[in-house]
Order: sequence, then structure tokens, then C-alpha cells
Amino acid sequence: MEFSPENPLSAEPEIETSHAEEFVEQLRCVTDTLPSRINIDAQSVEQGLAKLVLTLIEFIRRLLEKQAVRRMEGGDLSPEQIEELGLALMKLEGKLQELKTQFGLTDEDLNLDLGPIGRLI
Amino acid sequence: MSSTFDQIIVGEEWEDSDLSLLETLDHVLNRGIVITGEITISVADIDLVFVGLNVLISSVETAHEVLRKRQPE
Amino acid sequence: MKLYAYCLVEDLDALDAATRGISGAAVRLLHIDEFAVLTSNFDDDTVAVTRENALDHAAVVRSVLDRTTPLPFRFGTLVTEQQLRNYISARKPALQTRLTLVRGCVEMSVKIIREHITENNLPAVPGEITSGTSFLEEKRREILGTEANAAEAREISTWLHEQVANLARDEQVTLRSSEKLVVAAAHLVERDKIPQYKETMTIARENRPELHFLLSGPWPPYSFANIELEFKSQFGVS
Repeated sequence: MEFSPENPLSAEPEIETSHAEEFVEQLRCVTDTLPSRINIDAQSVEQGLAKLVLTLIEFIRRLLEKQAVRRMEGGDLSPEQIEELGLALMKLEGKLQELKTQFGLTDEDLNLDLGPIGRLI
Repeated sequence: MSSTFDQIIVGEEWEDSDLSLLETLDHVLNRGIVITGEITISVADIDLVFVGLNVLISSVETAHEVLRKRQPE
Repeated sequence: MKLYAYCLVEDLDALDAATRGISGAAVRLLHIDEFAVLTSNFDDDTVAVTRENALDHAAVVRSVLDRTTPLPFRFGTLVTEQQLRNYISARKPALQTRLTLVRGCVEMSVKIIREHITENNLPAVPGEITSGTSFLEEKRREILGTEANAAEAREISTWLHEQVANLARDEQVTLRSSEKLVVAAAHLVERDKIPQYKETMTIARENRPELHFLLSGPWPPYSFANIELEFKSQFGVS
């Protein structure tokens, strides 16, 4: 693309793909994940704190899940134990989902950057 | 800074099959300077925070209790 | 009366043409210290996410791109003039650093979809997940699939980085290893390097026929505008 007075940078950006429908489907998530009212004033202490707390809970929840799966595979849990553990984790996941919705947070929001350790999730 | 919520109302009518609109939305909605400022704390050592946040511990108590009970002695 | 803020620029004398913004309001330059902010008056307390408003916002930010490189505000930034002044005077060095980083550049976007997500060999749990056991079995499937996908995502991201390493001044990359849209990258490219960038990406795409690409640009540097990153590097706070 040559930039000239007839084709300045302030013209609309070009978009180029050979798979438009696929990308439309993927990018729709941008709008689908917006709840009907969005609080963008993240100065609100409530949401800032909720984000921090929920991120850490989410991290630990995933650790617990992985640990549970490992133990299940290791064969040292009885069927009843597996069932109870699974139910508890299922409830935790559900509860967290509720809280996320309540505070208008997405999975993306709950992904802290830990620097050298990398991203949380 | 004001503590009122600025809210965006999602429009009812979406021509969301428009790729160029979706790309534009991806840029203007998710990026750019956030002037009202999010104050989040990134934690280098997760243990510190785990000990410090009681609310965290009580929230995962249920699952944790179950796991702890299963620990072979 | 609130202001809708579109972007921050190194000071300009005046806007080129009569630009219209959200709801057809006139866009004005607000001079604050050594910067200027493009603003328009806004009546309401809320900004609707509509096609029209999103495109108007983008058009206003774009309108200065021929003359300078702006730092865009996020869509929906409603402030009073005083809030704007406070924000700017409190963050002058960080804003200057950002402006220096993006000066003379534009943003080019690359999004990559991969056709197949690595399937693992475990059969899916049939039916609804109603029991704790099924829940854990499903998690096991997910976790095994996840690790393979994460490795693939990292490989694609590294490959992309290598393609444009000497052309991009900076980059912002998002990996979503469990999604089809596995990599979304923003490259900060000097304006005179854009033809070379496009040529490089054209060739690169042909070398990865199993991947689907979406290339867009040039954009104002939306992905490189936010100055919160400054705090993170200095104080461990972001």
C-alpha cells in the first residue's frame, strides 16, 4: 500500500483475510461477552477488589482441579471420594461463575500478569 | 475521580456479521488509555497473598476441606 | 456537562477539518500543558455501544493520524475537563514516554486461527455432567488437551514474532491456547516500514497454510496507549 494524499493514513484501515466467516465467528465473542450493562469505571473499589480476589480464587480453583485429577489418575481415591470431590469442585466452579457475572468480569479480566512467572491462567 | 459508574449500554441492533466493525470494536473497546484507572496488584509471590487474604481461604474452604480429609496420614 | 475524550496528542495548533464525533457533536482540541486532547461535548451519563458510536470514535482518532501519532482513549471515556487535567498532570512523564514510543508509528494487527484443536484420545463423557465423577473426568480431558494446545499456541506466537522482529518497534500479543483464534498480535510499525511489513506477512502466510490469518491496519496505536504498564515495571503494581 502506498501512502499518498489520495490514500492517507487517516483512511479506514484495510482488513484482509481469506477466512472472513471464521473470524467473524471468533470476533463475535467481543460483543457476546459484554453484559447488558458494563461498568467501565474500574476506579470503583468494589470491582477492583473483586477482580483481585476472584482472580486468586480462580487460580487456586484450577490448582485444586489439577490436583484432584492427578489423584484420581493415581488411583488412591475411592469412587465415593472421587464423586464427593468432583461435586465440591463443581459447586465451586458454579459459585465463581456467579460471582464473575455479578461483578461484570470476564475470564480475560481474571488473568493477572505475574511478571517472570507468566500469566496466572 | 468520580466514583459514579459510567455505563455503556449495549445497542440492541447489531450488524455483527460485519468483520470490519468487529475488528474496530476489538480495538476501541478493549484497548486504549483507561483514564478512570484500574488499580490492580500483580503478585510476584502467590503465597504471600494466600496467607493475607482470609476471604480467599474461606471461599475455597469447602473444596479444601474435602481434599485435606483425603490426605493419607 | 461531560466531555467525551477520544485521544491524546502532542500539542497541535488546530484540527485540520471540522470533525464530527459521537452524536454529531463538534470535536475540539483541549490544550492541557504540552499536550492536547480531542474532545466533544456529551450530554448523557452513558455511552451506547452502537455501530455508529464505535465507528465515530474510530474515525475521530484516525483523523489526526496524518499529522501526528495519537494515544487513543478507550471507547466510552467520559470525563470532566478537571478530571482530564488532573489525570494528565499526574502522569506527564508516563504519557511522554508513551508518545515517544509510538511517535511515527502505526499499529498493524495479526489474528491467527488454527484449523484443528489437538484432540486427545480420551472419549468425551457422554450426556450431561450431573455427577462429581463425570465432572472430574471431563476436567481430565480438558487438562490433557490444554497442555498440548498451549505448546502449539506458544510455537505459533514465537514463529510470528520471528517474522516481524526487525520490523516492529514493539508488540502486544495475546495467546488463547484453547480457542480457535489462538494468537492476536499488535505490532507497532514505523510508517515507512509498512510496505515491507505487508510484504513480509504475505510471504509468511504462505509458509503456514494450516493457519488462517486476519491482517488489518494501519490503526492508531490502540494497543500501545495504556500507561498502566509504566507502573507495573517500576513498582510491581499494574
